Amino acid sequence: MDRVSRREVLFGTGGVIAGVVAAAGGTAAGTALEQGRDDGTPAAAADLPADAPSTGAVRPDGTTQAGIDRPATPQRFGLLTVLDLPDAGSPATLLSRLATLGTAVLDLTGAASAVPPGGAGDLTVTVGLGPRPVAAIDPGLPGATALPRFAGDESIAPERVGGDLLLALHGSDPMALPAALRELRAALGDATPRWSESCFRGPGDGMVARNPLGFHDGITVPHGVRELSREVWLPPEGDGGDPRVTGGTLCVLRRLVLDTARFAELGTGSQEAVIGRRLSDGAPLSGGTMSDDVDLRAKTPTGQYLVPARAHTRAAHPSFTGSGLMLRRGYGFAAPAVGDDPGETGLFFISFQRELDTFVRTQHRLDEIDALMEFATPTASASFLVLPGFDAGRPLGSTLTA
Amino acid sequence: MPSKRDLASFIGVFRRAAAAVAVLTVAACAGGSAATEGTAGGGDGTPAVLRVPDEHTTVQAAVDAASPGDLVLVSPGTYAESVLVDTDDVTVRGTDRNAVVIDGEGVRSSGVVATADGVRIENLTVRRTMHYGVLVTGMHDDDGPSAHGTDGYERLDPSRFPPVERFAVRHVTAANNGLYGIYAFDARHGAITDSYASGSADSGIYVGQCRECDILVQGNVAERNAVGFENANASDSVVVSGNRFSANRVGMTFLSNYQEAFTPQRAGTVVGNVVTTNTSADSPAHAEGAFGIGIGISGGRHNVLRDNLVAGNPRAGVLLANTEDLAAVGNRVDGSWAGDGVSRNGVDIANVSADRAPARGTCPGAAASTLPENLRAACGTPGPLDGVAPGELPRVQAPPGMSFLEVPAPPPQPGMTDVENVPAPLPSTVTAGIRLPEGVPDADLLAERSGVA
Repeated sequence: MDRVSRREVLFGTGGVIAGVVAAAGGTAAGTALEQGRDDGTPAAAADLPADAPSTGAVRPDGTTQAGIDRPATPQRFGLLTVLDLPDAGSPATLLSRLATLGTAVLDLTGAASAVPPGGAGDLTVTVGLGPRPVAAIDPGLPGATALPRFAGDESIAPERVGGDLLLALHGSDPMALPAALRELRAALGDATPRWSESCFRGPGDGMVARNPLGFHDGITVPHGVRELSREVWLPPEGDGGDPRVTGGTLCVLRRLVLDTARFAELGTGSQEAVIGRRLSDGAPLSGGTMSDDVDLRAKTPTGQYLVPARAHTRAAHPSFTGSGLMLRRGYGFAAPAVGDDPGETGLFFISFQRELDTFVRTQHRLDEIDALMEFATPTASASFLVLPGFDAGRPLGSTLTA
Repeated sequence: MPSKRDLASFIGVFRRAAAAVAVLTVAACAGGSAATEGTAGGGDGTPAVLRVPDEHTTVQAAVDAASPGDLVLVSPGTYAESVLVDTDDVTVRGTDRNAVVIDGEGVRSSGVVATADGVRIENLTVRRTMHYGVLVTGMHDDDGPSAHGTDGYERLDPSRFPPVERFAVRHVTAANNGLYGIYAFDARHGAITDSYASGSADSGIYVGQCRECDILVQGNVAERNAVGFENANASDSVVVSGNRFSANRVGMTFLSNYQEAFTPQRAGTVVGNVVTTNTSADSPAHAEGAFGIGIGISGGRHNVLRDNLVAGNPRAGVLLANTEDLAAVGNRVDGSWAGDGVSRNGVDIANVSADRAPARGTCPGAAASTLPENLRAACGTPGPLDGVAPGELPRVQAPPGMSFLEVPAPPPQPGMTDVENVPAPLPSTVTAGIRLPEGVPDADLLAERSGVA
């Protein structure tokens, strides 16, 4: 269906007023993950203080992997690599390979690391498995289903769609990242690289930083053990989860080229209408401050929404899709301009969520109504099962066949 | 004109106002024994009549003094109040529908709110509130009453808020209310009848979030609203018949909405209504720009629409669409697409569902024009109906919105006659066995109550 003409609003879903809302209860997942610490299993991310500085070492081990909610303020630099695995279809050798990779991650990011020579600093390595190897283990596992194609995806280069393994390296020292990747590739053996690209973030506090369009991004994300357990971490068996992946999560990775030049031509007022927030301080156009909830129902007396009908903030709001909240941890990229080629500027949209459908439903909605999508062109799309946390006694991937 | 600050806080004022109402209510309950010793006689089982302003200077004072079964009878006057009725089986009635006015003055959130079972609101006018003229809701807590699900990030738990049981809103005029004229949310076994709503920036009459609703909407006029009548997630036994939903921007909508509990909306009965010429310029804008639409079904399922006159809506008579991943399924749509003195619809029935949730199971009768033209191709099959992109609908230009406070006042409306009669408690069922009108109504149904017809 015609991508642009679909973006037309038909009739409202009505709406008004801050409702009386029931908290979804201290979920069993939250309880279980917290109990996990009590009974002596490795610490979850919540053991780190929420304001953990991003310049110190980040624990590589625990019930969850690093690089998702820790450090609490994402490091400024990243190096994303997607590869295919020759043994994606044979779980036994795959698991052996993952165990070796996990040991390399612990060595690289541990206190005794010598890569780079001064130590790992706040280097994190996050490992995700693509749908093909996950489905080979069990097609019923979370992450076994690939993302559908969204609007514009038909023009993505084939090597940029999917992939068997994600290695997401992040750190404050960009020089350390390629060196660390070399070590990991050596441990991994004969994997086939699909693509690899550096990325970066502006300064920020917590998940919030300005994106390549200049607007604050990462404002509405789950915080704290309870919300992360409900929205991000795959739940324990007692909460309806699969014990093989408890503490894992599902990662969506989308490379979006942004037409920053055309966006800049809009001028601040029109830009804010596209985003739904103020450029200066990130406050929603419905009022308040950046941290206040967007009031989706606020209207002028003549009936117009204060946050416009096609604003990104409205389009992406989870209340419309009945889905959960994503933990977004995006990074920018810039590809060189050469001659007449203006290069590329854009955003690696990176989200972590308990259900892939949270992203899928939201992206469908964005394709249908989001004004921002007219400035974004997808150039990579993939999803990964981020494996549960690991340590020397519980190798990476070992829970998958438990 | 409201100040700039008022624009920004158009919604935000609600919670503070509601909290203030709740505080007043607590105070009244603490002194509750005074009610039975004072002017109210109700506690002994004999229903009392509490008169405003003769015995109580405000409607709220009389309501607070009322016991179950009592009648609060309000004499002509303009009452600058927000009234909360939280005692079961109390009736709030005006002696003169057009002259008894609860006035929000463009600052108060709501006019009359009922959170108790068995409440009647009758024969009065509620105008110029920021949000709700009349609201019946089972959703209320220490912050006061509310409606609607969530636009926050928590999921709604409807089991915490059992629905209000039994209500009646009749012979009520709701004009110039910021969002809704008459609104039943999380309520069941009720009736909205013989009422009038105009000037709402959302909908004139709204029924939302209930299952086995057993709600009757009959004999009403809603005009000069963004939407005349709206149903969101109200299912199973909502009967809408014999109403005039003309001269809005959108006549009626049936919506599945994830922001409230109980998706998808389903199984409504819509019979014998006039839904014509929804091209009002003297109305607030529809927030998403909709205009010229008779009936919109977005993710609604198994609704029966018959014997309605749907004409003169230049964009579409009936529009089928999805709500996110929820398809419009199994809706039965027939009726009349032409009426005396009314132009044709731009197209009678159009399907604009997205490919991810295509409409299914709707077979329009042969008389209707459709978009796409082969909309009937999937009739009798479980397969998806062909659809068109919204851009292929007839083009109409929506005029700018008018402030809800500036929409013309309604003409005088016919009221009740026997206003002194203290009514028996409301029945526990409403729509079971109800007789519905036969045949398609004439285009001038209830036109004598309209300000535009």
